[in-house]
Amino acid sequence: MAGEQRDKVVEIVGFEKEFRSPFLRKRVTAVADLSLDIHRGEVYGLIGPNGSGKSTTMKALLGLLQPSQGSCRVFGYDASKVDARSQVGYLPENPYFFKHQTARETLLFYGKLCGMRGATLKARVLELLEMVDLVEAADRRLAGYSKGMLQRVGLAQALIQDPQLVVLDEPTAGVDPIGSRQIRDLILSLKQRGVTVFLCSHLLEQVQEVCDRVGVIYKGEMVVQGAVDALCTSGEHRELRVQGLSGAGLAELESWLESQGARLLSSDAAQKSLEEVFIDVVTEKEGGKA
Amino acid sequence: MKVFYFLVVFAALMLAMLWVDFGSLGQVQDAEQSLRVMKGAAFFSMNVFATVFAIAATALLIPKDVEDRTLYTILSKPVTRLDYLLGRYLGVILMLGLGLLLMGMVFSMTMWHALEGVMAEQVAVMQQMGFSQELMDARVAQLREQGMGVPVGVYSVFLKAAVLAAVALCISTFSTSTLFTLVATVVVMLVGLLVDEARSVMLEYAAAGRESGVLSLAHWVAYMFPDFKLMSLEDATIHGKDVPVGLALRVTWVALLHVALSVVLSWFIFRKKEV
Repeated sequence: MAGEQRDKVVEIVGFEKEFRSPFLRKRVTAVADLSLDIHRGEVYGLIGPNGSGKSTTMKALLGLLQPSQGSCRVFGYDASKVDARSQVGYLPENPYFFKHQTARETLLFYGKLCGMRGATLKARVLELLEMVDLVEAADRRLAGYSKGMLQRVGLAQALIQDPQLVVLDEPTAGVDPIGSRQIRDLILSLKQRGVTVFLCSHLLEQVQEVCDRVGVIYKGEMVVQGAVDALCTSGEHRELRVQGLSGAGLAELESWLESQGARLLSSDAAQKSLEEVFIDVVTEKEGGKA
Repeated sequence: MKVFYFLVVFAALMLAMLWVDFGSLGQVQDAEQSLRVMKGAAFFSMNVFATVFAIAATALLIPKDVEDRTLYTILSKPVTRLDYLLGRYLGVILMLGLGLLLMGMVFSMTMWHALEGVMAEQVAVMQQMGFSQELMDARVAQLREQGMGVPVGVYSVFLKAAVLAAVALCISTFSTSTLFTLVATVVVMLVGLLVDEARSVMLEYAAAGRESGVLSLAHWVAYMFPDFKLMSLEDATIHGKDVPVGLALRVTWVALLHVALSVVLSWFIFRKKEV
């Protein structure tokens, strides 16, 4: 039990957030009685429709908002304390930076905010620029950057101090499919290194691919949460994928299934996703460099 | 930055106009007056630059960071809210200081050039009229006094702007609109310019035995507003008067107290502010 307690990176208990209209005294509950734990090395996805309270939860976790009730703890510290943020990297939705700065200057600035200096910081900046594929554009002003490039700068700044918890709000918003896949791969590599990731995304397919556990939030309430595999497994249906089966064989299989009291629901040829088709085509055009 | 460039150009234009005015400085009886006008115009342009820059730049800081979401990425790092406020405030002060330093240097050079011209012309006129060397030296020394105290004048402009920037920062921490911050800071500035007069009136009332609760309340409220007239040491510079070091230190102390009060108040409001 003590080990499990130590292993908790994020601990949100009974979190409630109310916003008050200053003149009408009207109260709007953005999040109600939300509880969740995220353990070390886990990738947790919070999904829900727009306005369901995902960003509010993230902001509370970063100390940008105070809970009306309940508590938010990060690495055992109250989320509003500075100590809680020393090991946290955050990428907000559609991030903007100081437009007169270059990507390199931006990363140096955020590194300095984290207490990094000198050659260590410069080396880390270069490493991150390479990681997000912005080395060539590193010394251009951000005013000329596309949305996707800004997103990559945002991701790099979130990782500048090599944090142990990364909070990503719509990490692939505005990024093309290849960039999106690179971000997915990056999340998976963070997970392999034992970094904890807490993310919100509308791209459910991607959430399913990278997350260990997900929580579904609706109108500020946690509707369901659990391991992705457990949530996505349908108890009644079983999926078989076969290769080299003839038409006659398929008919025979179907009749055998009927004899077992089962029914063949579909037998379509396997299809690639549109994302896979796009990536295959572009990768081929770029000479196999994804 | 655009505001800053605009103000630098504005200040340069003001100083250029003063340069053009040299031709009228030759007459003996008008020399001090002309130099006073020149200094007055230069300090006016510096005050305008410093005031507009201090208020506009500081009032926009927090709303712009919230709008651009740069505040989220900054505050999600291990940065305290006080660090953020101090960093932003000191950034404005640094830019302000550099701008005023530049203007002060240009003005000092202009002043030196104008003084040299005036002194040469006056010595020539006095020689023609047969004045003794002693009298001419005394006149030159008298004119040189007009060129003294420019750094102290620029410093006092800087102090007033630093106080105004701190007030704007404080108001922007609870204001919901930039316009309100701008207007409220200008109101504080105007009140600050009138505090000295108000205090004199209150003292007159007190001396006449017409004290009341409202008057004593007003007396204490007056202490909350920075007294910008007290800080206007450039008035002495314009009139060629020497500013004692003790007075400059006292004014610095008063300005620092107001800056500290505003920054602490800003931090108190901003530390729990939801962004």
